[in-house]
Amino acid sequence: MTRILFSSSLKMLTRDKQALFWALIFPLIFLGVFKLFSGDAAGTTRLIVSVDTTSERGRSLVDALSQVGFLEVEVRPGLDEDSARVLLLDDEADAALVVDPAAPNTPANAVLLIGVSDPIGRQVTSAAIASVVDRVNLVLTKVPVPISMTTRPVESKTTSFFQFVAPGILGMGLMSFATIGLAGSLSRYREEGVLRRIRATPLAPWRFFSSVLAAHLVITGVQVVFLTLIAQMLGADLFSGGIWAPLIAIFGTISFLNIAVILAGRVTGRGAVEGAANAVTLPMMFLSGSFFPVSSLPEVMQTVVKVLPLTHMLDALRGVTIESESITEQWPSLLVLLAWALVSFAVARVSFRFEDA
Amino acid sequence: MDAQTASTFVIEAHNLVKRYGDVTALAGVSAEVQRGEIFGILGPNGAGKTTLVEVLEGLTRPTEGTARVLGVEVTQDPVAVKARIGVQLQAASYHQFLTLREILELFGSFYPKRIPAMELLERVHLAERAGARIGTLSGGMKQRFSIVAALVNDPELVFFDEPTAGLDPDARLDLWEIVRQVRDAGATVVLTTHYMEEAQALCDRVAFMNAGKMVALDTPAGLIRSLNAPYRVMATSATPLSEAGVRGLPGAAEVEVALGADGHIVRLRAQDAPAVTAALTALADREGVRLVDLAVQPASLEDVFMNITGRKLSG
Repeated sequence: MTRILFSSSLKMLTRDKQALFWALIFPLIFLGVFKLFSGDAAGTTRLIVSVDTTSERGRSLVDALSQVGFLEVEVRPGLDEDSARVLLLDDEADAALVVDPAAPNTPANAVLLIGVSDPIGRQVTSAAIASVVDRVNLVLTKVPVPISMTTRPVESKTTSFFQFVAPGILGMGLMSFATIGLAGSLSRYREEGVLRRIRATPLAPWRFFSSVLAAHLVITGVQVVFLTLIAQMLGADLFSGGIWAPLIAIFGTISFLNIAVILAGRVTGRGAVEGAANAVTLPMMFLSGSFFPVSSLPEVMQTVVKVLPLTHMLDALRGVTIESESITEQWPSLLVLLAWALVSFAVARVSFRFEDA
Repeated sequence: MDAQTASTFVIEAHNLVKRYGDVTALAGVSAEVQRGEIFGILGPNGAGKTTLVEVLEGLTRPTEGTARVLGVEVTQDPVAVKARIGVQLQAASYHQFLTLREILELFGSFYPKRIPAMELLERVHLAERAGARIGTLSGGMKQRFSIVAALVNDPELVFFDEPTAGLDPDARLDLWEIVRQVRDAGATVVLTTHYMEEAQALCDRVAFMNAGKMVALDTPAGLIRSLNAPYRVMATSATPLSEAGVRGLPGAAEVEVALGADGHIVRLRAQDAPAVTAALTALADREGVRLVDLAVQPASLEDVFMNITGRKLSG
């Protein structure tokens, strides 16, 4: 019985072209679009550096900046902030770093002007330059450095925008399909009377439920494999987390499946259920850092956003992939995800009543 | 075989009450259904037919009362009852992305005992549509499928809720034949309908429901006999019969005299059809009127329902 029940639930998903579109093609389009716009394919950021290149500080900075792949560095000593701004306004550069001349071994002030029009590019560029400046400072201050620090580069690689956004799109795709897809199937089962008809048989409701959930998890697995492979082919860095990236993705999806059950149970009418599922997932998609860092949100919003499950799913995903952290370093996020999974499961259990079918 | 299974009653309902808030859907219904009969529940929309059937199927818990179905108290062990009955629900559908065969195999997998999907489809002439999806079927085919889907577990008792609602006359006749075959194969059938011809043609016994109550229960012929004037008599003649003479016929009721396209028409209802027709013929002889046509029809269940409730069954 279980086998036929499970395969039926799976067929209901795999033969639903609309569901498959949202599960696989929709996030695929996002990957493609962001790949085109992310700039690491064709675009580079033109950076003008005004620094005294006769000083050690100046030379080190220019060298370090030149090593950043997407920066096209041009050195123009003697610019002040105003003249640099003019260059940016004339579109002769995308960014300018103006370092005040200062005597060696005294702190120098630097101003970074960024004219990159899109907020995402600005984020990436400023982060990259800031990390270079930090590194140069570290080298120049010549404080005794622990061995572990010197053997490990401060920033071994530069994260491209696409690498940043790929885990975001994976998380977004999983969340959308889990929430909208499952809420949609459950409300369809109910609205078309399938649930009612099944209730007239001796089948235990939990068996039916488990089969539907299991089928959705299988599709989630397919999503993870499919989107990870495509993203990797396009230059993302999802493999570096090993097995942890897909496990985090599936673990995070559990909460979204529960949320779908809650919505299908509490909201009447299939259209309304799907609307509610969209209303839940759409803001999360934009706020939880799928496409740009949460840190770029206003302070007040950040506190709210830090409660959302997608935020933590993406934090952990990026942690083990682009940030090369270990899984144990993700414990705060994993703990929040666990709390979400447990609480949403408890609410889901009382929200969806088979008897109402 | 224990005493319960040996009982001739497959359903024993006692004083079933179902209230939804202020609305009383069932106001104390008691009935027994005998093994092997086609039991019809007839009544207008909203009479409580579906609620009654759903209580018996274990889908709805009654507010009060008890129901033994196949010897099992349905509120105590609905799963045991569900395993042995077949159910066709009004306004229920099946998985839209599965084929007919897959649906029957799926539903069969819920039961300990099952009939092969293809054998079921052949019974209702849907074998060649085994690979089709529900959405591609006509209304009659869908109805045939939902009937056969109620038979996957070879049930002892089958419930059909408005099985012919919205079907054209041909499709309806088809379904009647299928329902009879189900009964002939040994199952007891309980069906609800608001078509009185359906109850009359198909059911061994008919229960009338009105406003949550069972207002009559008998064979269709018994129900009609219970009327004071169970026959309709219609006579047509070229010249008129005297109205006083017609009204004086023994046992005549609801007399109407009219001029129609075919001639002068007398309509009346009578208790004793042979006596009235004899008296009518004698009257015509006395008055020198030649009767062109004389027709006697039994009254219909519609008349019975009207007589009991004062309201029409349909329309």
